[in-house]
Amino acid sequence: MRLFFICLICGLVLLIAGPGFAEDVDHGGDIHFKQPVVGVLFSHTLHVEELGLECDSCHEGLFAYEAGTAEAKDDFTMKSLAEGNYCGACHDGSTAFSSETRCAVCHEGVKGYKRALGLINAPEHDRK
Amino acid sequence: MTALKFDNLKNEGIENLPDRQRRNFLKLGFAITGVFAGGTILAVTSSVRRSFASSGDFLAQYPYKPHYGMLIRQDRCIDCERCKQACAKTNHVPAYGYRTDILERVRPDAEGQQREFIPVLCNHCNLPQCVRVCPTRATYKDRRNGIVMMNPKKCIGCLTCQMACPYNARYFNEEKMAVDKCDFCWEARLDRGGKLTACAAACPAQARIFGDLSRDDDPVHRVVHQIGRTVWVLRPEAGTKPNVFYTRG
Repeated sequence: MRLFFICLICGLVLLIAGPGFAEDVDHGGDIHFKQPVVGVLFSHTLHVEELGLECDSCHEGLFAYEAGTAEAKDDFTMKSLAEGNYCGACHDGSTAFSSETRCAVCHEGVKGYKRALGLINAPEHDRK
Repeated sequence: MTALKFDNLKNEGIENLPDRQRRNFLKLGFAITGVFAGGTILAVTSSVRRSFASSGDFLAQYPYKPHYGMLIRQDRCIDCERCKQACAKTNHVPAYGYRTDILERVRPDAEGQQREFIPVLCNHCNLPQCVRVCPTRATYKDRRNGIVMMNPKKCIGCLTCQMACPYNARYFNEEKMAVDKCDFCWEARLDRGGKLTACAAACPAQARIFGDLSRDDDPVHRVVHQIGRTVWVLRPEAGTKPNVFYTRG
């Protein structure tokens, strides 16, 4: 009987804590920046799961763990990115595409931001 | 009118018909999804040839002085909507209407970048269909600067201009009880000594360049009159000779 309970408790612990042991699922999800302009998407899914970056690639050297910390700073601007800060540390044209090109890859705009909040529906795809 | 007199009428041709009418006439039955996106696909061609060279006089000289126009550097738009906010504030545009808007085009299978934003506004056409169809001349082409103006006192709200406009640039303003539209900020800014429209001034990415096409040293004129970079207009098939140009790069 005691053995049964020990097994049951162990099983429950594994069931609850189990997902925590799996790698690379514990990340910040989608970050939608609102400052200095509305609608910039950073996807943890893309950068961590698909591109294989580690947490310490950006945290805490470029970005604090807490969302909204970079946005609150005055130098969180495109000019600063071009100087190699924040996203610009990788998006420099050699590690990843330059932050001065392909604007709408990251800039999802007010429309993208509203979609993230569930205020408007997804866009209809353009015909070919 | 008898049929006989009908025969003696001058044929105006189809180039001056409003786009929607003409499309019906030509029985082009395909559904256009995203009115403006449809235009841009057809419109990727040299603007000079398309919009002006069809009647050589436009290339030689612009009919107005100043001849206001706008260049939109499409790839720089990030849909931050600061232009829309600045426009609404400057021109008292209600939340249900707009004088300028931003369209979104998504191509999931595109390389590198799948999304593009396209700012749109009144194109202040040289052959404005809205002006042609207005029964009261409430909307007119200003002889001084080529801006397509509205006189709200004359507007009877028939919305024929909305139907005629290929660019969907007009809305009915319930406060004015008249159709309202972009006037390149003539009333709010240019006529009071301003040099830029509110949208162009508010753009953080210089996606909108406002200028005077009649001047050789004007930034818009210089981009339109070169061949190194593709410049196009939206819906050139409407034949209205718009004064808002688009480019990338």
